[in-house]
Amino acid sequence: MRPQSEFEQDIAQLIVESLNLEDISAADIDPDEALFGEGLGLDSIDALELALAITQKYAVQLKADDANVQEVFGSLSSLSAYVAENAP
Amino acid sequence: MKNPYPLTTRKLGDIIAHAGGAEINVARFLGQAATIADELPRHAYVVNLATSRYEFLLGLCAAIIAGQCTLLPPNRQQQTLQQLREDYADCYIFGETGVEGIAGFYADPDHYASAAAAAEIPAISRDQLCAIAFTSGSTGASTPHLKYWDTIRVGTQGNARLLGLANAEPANMLATVPPQHMWGLEMSILLPLFASIAISHEMPLFPQDVRDALAALPEPRILVSSPIHLDAFLRANIEAISINRVLSATAPLSAELAQQIETRFGATVTEVFGCSEAGTIAARSTASETLWRISDVFDLQVRDDRINVLASHLPERVVLQDRIEMVGDRKFRWLGRDQDMINIAGKRGSLAHLNYKLTRIPGVVDGVIFLPYENSKRLAGLVVAPGIEPSVILEELKQAVEPAFLPRPFYSVPMLPRQETGKLARKMVLELFASLGSKANDDAEPADNES
Repeated sequence: MRPQSEFEQDIAQLIVESLNLEDISAADIDPDEALFGEGLGLDSIDALELALAITQKYAVQLKADDANVQEVFGSLSSLSAYVAENAP
Repeated sequence: MKNPYPLTTRKLGDIIAHAGGAEINVARFLGQAATIADELPRHAYVVNLATSRYEFLLGLCAAIIAGQCTLLPPNRQQQTLQQLREDYADCYIFGETGVEGIAGFYADPDHYASAAAAAEIPAISRDQLCAIAFTSGSTGASTPHLKYWDTIRVGTQGNARLLGLANAEPANMLATVPPQHMWGLEMSILLPLFASIAISHEMPLFPQDVRDALAALPEPRILVSSPIHLDAFLRANIEAISINRVLSATAPLSAELAQQIETRFGATVTEVFGCSEAGTIAARSTASETLWRISDVFDLQVRDDRINVLASHLPERVVLQDRIEMVGDRKFRWLGRDQDMINIAGKRGSLAHLNYKLTRIPGVVDGVIFLPYENSKRLAGLVVAPGIEPSVILEELKQAVEPAFLPRPFYSVPMLPRQETGKLARKMVLELFASLGSKANDDAEPADNES
């Protein structure tokens, strides 16, 4: 696993806090591993909860072209990049 | 053909869908469905995994026209699909997702979009088996529920009357819930065939997407959703938009949330009570009513302390997993679910079954999975497994149960507060659970030290 960037560390912390992932440490989230399905095993309810947390903290409204949450939340790295790009 | 009934009661010129920025009328829709029906592989069963709601509608109706039965799995996980393949060896997948070992069929929009408009509405035999929904009972085994054309037709027309949509002015509907799930199927796929509703092809999840998809629809607008999605929609602080009706099901909706939605969007909120076996059974205006009005196609009877749902259009009577109190003949008060049965993310399961799966994992001495509080979105769990990290046990559990049922948080403890009889009181479990909450990471691991 490559080390998390500073911003990825913040997003990882937000993921763990907003989703009550008590058994996972933010630092253990592999930036390039899938967050949903096989990886952390998150689902669409988590996607929604995480989207709200991101909106509240970074004023970014998440949008997906379809219900395929994997694309938006592909990995910690892609989610962080999305938030960084779209933050006002 | 025995006693046929039209595939839709809509007129050929009525708008039935909004897809790809266009209004699609019934004639065009039926023309496309007939074209697809001709091209479907000649199999008896089809799993519709279309990712556009309009394509799902096309796939379902094409299958009905072709005399094929649509299977409605509770999720699209590999394991579930493989089980379907074992039980229905003949099945194939309709939609964009091909799955290893199961043949797929993809309807090409470039091809069917140019289909000639239909001049007449096909008639379907009332006893044709059109769909099979599945539920997992207390044993965890999957039970099929057969939906004949008459089951669908009578049920949907009953829903239209129950919701005041039978003779209403044309309205435009957006749904956030999946069409494969009974609630999404009844409202966003079947209702447009029997009531003046045009359905959006969108399947949005995030609040901003929901708002954008609503804004793309003309008024009056109907939003079909669930308490979880509605709660997020409200909390997201998006720009206001006018919605005429909000229909909610899959989990209990609080009167407070219903009132907030009514105030913010000017909508009338209707909550629906139902199950996969029978479909929609009753409805209420949750912001102002506590009693449920029973749909005129159902009778509810108490037998052996259980509520039986009877209807001429159902293949068999349905026994509810809920406790209710009848108020007169046509209304009831909901008292709660059976202690053992849970409903997470619209998926029903049995705690006893989950606990059985948990305690069968090698190294697990004892364990319990439970709802930490009423209407919680997630289950919580405690496990006694000396020397094994909870995350390792969760990995094992993932192989055996739906992801929605995985406990979170999941703590390792030295022992469970069982009584001398071996019984585990809910109150004791909750007390132990509460004592672990604050210092989650510190407390999650002491099993190692104390074993």
